[in-house]
Amino acid sequence: MSIPNSMRVGPFLPTILVKKRYLIFYILIVWLSAIPLFIEFWVYYRFVWSSIRPIFFFIYLPLLLLPMYLTLAFSAMIWAKLILIFVNWSHSPREGVFLRHPSDKDYRYWSLRNTIKRWPFWVCHRFPFPFLDNVCFKVFNVKTKFSNSLFEGWVDTEFISFGKDVVCGQGAIIQSSVIIGNLLIIKKTIIEDDVRIGSHAIVMPGTHIGNKSVLAANSVTTVGQVLKDNWIYVGIPCKEFKRNWFFEDGLEDKLGVAEDINALLGKYEKIITKVRWTEGLTLKERKAIKRQQKEAEERRWELSKERDEENHEDVF
Amino acid sequence: MLEDSLERGSKIEEIPKAEVIKEEINMQFGWYIFIFITIYYLSWLLAGFVFFLYFLIEFMPNVLQVSSFITIFTEPKSIISLLLMPLIVIACYVIRLISVAITTRIFWRITERISPSKDGVIPRNIRSKAADYYHLRSFMLKYGKNLFTKGMFPWLSNWFFNFVGSSKIGKGTTLEESVASDKFITVGNNTYMGVNATLASHLVQGIFGNIQYFRMHIGNNVTIGAMDQIGPGSDIMDGSYLLPLASTNRHSVLKGGNNYYFGIPLRKIFMKKTMNYLGLTEEDLEKNENLEAYLERNKEKVTRKEKKRKKNNEMKSVSSEANTTEIKEVQKEKIDVESLTKEDLSIDFTTSSAISRINIKFLLVYVPILWLAGLIISIFWYEYTKGAWNFSNQTNLIYSIFKNISTILFLPLAILIMIYLFILGVLIFSKLLLIFINLIHQPKEGIFLAEVRNPDYDFWMFRTELKKITLWLLRNSPVPWADFIALKWFGVNMDSSSHLYDAWCDVDFISIGRKVLIGQGATIMSSMVIGKYLIIKRVVFDDYVMVGGHTTIAPGTIMGHDSVIGAISSTTYKRILNPNYIYFGIPAIPLKENKYAEERRDLVVKRHVDESKKTEEIHEVNIDEDKKKFIKIGDGK
Repeated sequence: MSIPNSMRVGPFLPTILVKKRYLIFYILIVWLSAIPLFIEFWVYYRFVWSSIRPIFFFIYLPLLLLPMYLTLAFSAMIWAKLILIFVNWSHSPREGVFLRHPSDKDYRYWSLRNTIKRWPFWVCHRFPFPFLDNVCFKVFNVKTKFSNSLFEGWVDTEFISFGKDVVCGQGAIIQSSVIIGNLLIIKKTIIEDDVRIGSHAIVMPGTHIGNKSVLAANSVTTVGQVLKDNWIYVGIPCKEFKRNWFFEDGLEDKLGVAEDINALLGKYEKIITKVRWTEGLTLKERKAIKRQQKEAEERRWELSKERDEENHEDVF
Repeated sequence: MLEDSLERGSKIEEIPKAEVIKEEINMQFGWYIFIFITIYYLSWLLAGFVFFLYFLIEFMPNVLQVSSFITIFTEPKSIISLLLMPLIVIACYVIRLISVAITTRIFWRITERISPSKDGVIPRNIRSKAADYYHLRSFMLKYGKNLFTKGMFPWLSNWFFNFVGSSKIGKGTTLEESVASDKFITVGNNTYMGVNATLASHLVQGIFGNIQYFRMHIGNNVTIGAMDQIGPGSDIMDGSYLLPLASTNRHSVLKGGNNYYFGIPLRKIFMKKTMNYLGLTEEDLEKNENLEAYLERNKEKVTRKEKKRKKNNEMKSVSSEANTTEIKEVQKEKIDVESLTKEDLSIDFTTSSAISRINIKFLLVYVPILWLAGLIISIFWYEYTKGAWNFSNQTNLIYSIFKNISTILFLPLAILIMIYLFILGVLIFSKLLLIFINLIHQPKEGIFLAEVRNPDYDFWMFRTELKKITLWLLRNSPVPWADFIALKWFGVNMDSSSHLYDAWCDVDFISIGRKVLIGQGATIMSSMVIGKYLIIKRVVFDDYVMVGGHTTIAPGTIMGHDSVIGAISSTTYKRILNPNYIYFGIPAIPLKENKYAEERRDLVVKRHVDESKKTEEIHEVNIDEDKKKFIKIGDGK
């Protein structure tokens, strides 16, 4: 029903702050966006306040708070957008694999963009009615529709596009950028019409989910995975489970229950573990791949051996 | 709970049933309220004082009482006080954060002195001082933690944890918002923790079971992906990279050294798989491993790198275009509904229940509700500040402050009362509307077409939206566990001994027994959207049920007495879980009987993930000396 305080993660932006001076932008936006509020308050005060009958002032005050909040949200969006245009002009955001190190320009600007967008998203996400998030997404050039419901989860705010009638489950995470070790991977995520994403599912960067597909609860996609139209996907990482017939008409009385839980588990396990990489390959290809693997492993082994030796030198 | 999957074969030494004590552990709500009100009161005191001083002395005469709009911008005094106002608000906010941190630190130190937090299993079936102080400490941290991590300046939260002394967090480390990563952890430098990842230094096993409470070490340069669950007592060494949704058992040892881990429970994955999952090349992995060497090499080749980048850019834009066209078009064919098999149509997977359409027309309902509720508090505010309105006209400032000292000192409490008066107002008005709506259309269980103009679907959406606002307000209020009042009013069968405030939960068709514990971030759905259909079915939890963190409960689930479902599991539609059993997995399967109270408590099983082997260790049980005789301990070999 309502997302609990502890689980209600968002604003939809990573909190990484590469340089402390980025906070200046943040505070600047907060400051500029708050000034119209006080002017609005002045107007209200001038019109309604009377020292003889102060009660009128208080009766209409709750009605004033709603427009004041909306003013804050919209002015925050406008200021952030202006500054963001300037920042993007000096270095345009792009996809790719970057280093998580202050010397990498793309990583720095990624963090700067997130810091700038943080305040408008924070204000919009704190608003009890979710349509403000959609407005905010549209302002920052994320392709989305008002029919989407994305607010129970966590959604990245750039390099992402949604079709219509997408349902994002509670606590689901849709990413277009991910940090693994010293790498920052940014890749465009595309989600098409009528997609249902289960609760606690994770969509990794670069995923393309086709029309009317389902990603079941507690599943995760891999980077750059393509999910076909009209299929249900399950697993960690997710695999095809069965065709999605649930968009057909007249099934109200026919929808059933999985009774044998062990058989179901078998089915899940088959998906998760038993798909073999050798299927559909000739003997030669298999051998070539195996050889490559072996070489890679050997190289890796030697590397780790060297590293261990170095470490030993450190210790002694 | 996760680790139980590996514990199928572990020995359970039974004690005769009569010996096992099963006391209900109660929370000390008196202390909770005392601590909360103190923290809350002190936090507003200084900040509120500064704000009102500025508001009444500077802002009021210079801006509000200026009669012409243009004069505000021409008069230097006016424009300065207008421009300074937002900065004063930010400053007051920071003051408030700092005072919360200071008060929490004082309380934390006091409880640490009385009963220091230490490693060990805290039995949950016997009342003890250790358990009491553990609960108290968890509670007092909650307000500050939520204020910092979910507030305007989440960058200060590392400082908060270090200052309070609940955990040690190194330099350059980023902890994203999460469900529980607050106490008893040490995190090294330059570590990144993704959204909703949980460093759980504590873990509850069953209502009459144990609290596993062990310190957790996380080394330098570790990555913990989104939604990872790290069990108590885990030791994650330098350079371990955990992919999203990888979770450890308790007492796992990860050797790190540039290794990648994935899965539930997690295991090491090798180069090929890593490259596959992350879409990386071998070069990228090399870069990741030898970052410093790479950077040094790169310093010399800056210009060359720029050129390369441009080339790469062109390449990538081409490749991404290719990627989008890959989806094969499934041809639209007429499908005979009769020909579909039972297996095709069985609901053996779980999705979500979020509403697909957000109607702006619902705002029309909210406006009167919010206004009526707001009326109550603004009249309260008017009565409260009646005496203070001539404040700025007084010539003697010190005299006027002294005169209004009671108004200033009771201000934080007045704010608290106002928040709850407002919520109560919203609750009552939305309940009235709800009764009215239910008279028009009775809510019922079943499978419905999820399309506008289907009355069942429309009214379900309307009910949900109506209830949402009150719950949203209550859960964002300073005392989120008060939400059981709203849940009860809106039709959940439950009492105040169960806690739902950390879970996402539907408010129709749910019955909850006594002392039910729902884990952090769990999702309990009595409605689910599958394709075109909306399924509504009652969820029943019997007494003493436990649901793990990040677990998804599908509609129609019935959980028996004393049963447990582990973390990151999910049930399917209409599942029935037997009483007294522990379930785990996706989909949940029975693991073993719930016998936490009868087990030995001093045995710790360390899991070395890299070598995939286990070792056993003996560890002292964390309970008062005089109660040690009640619990089962090994011979001490």
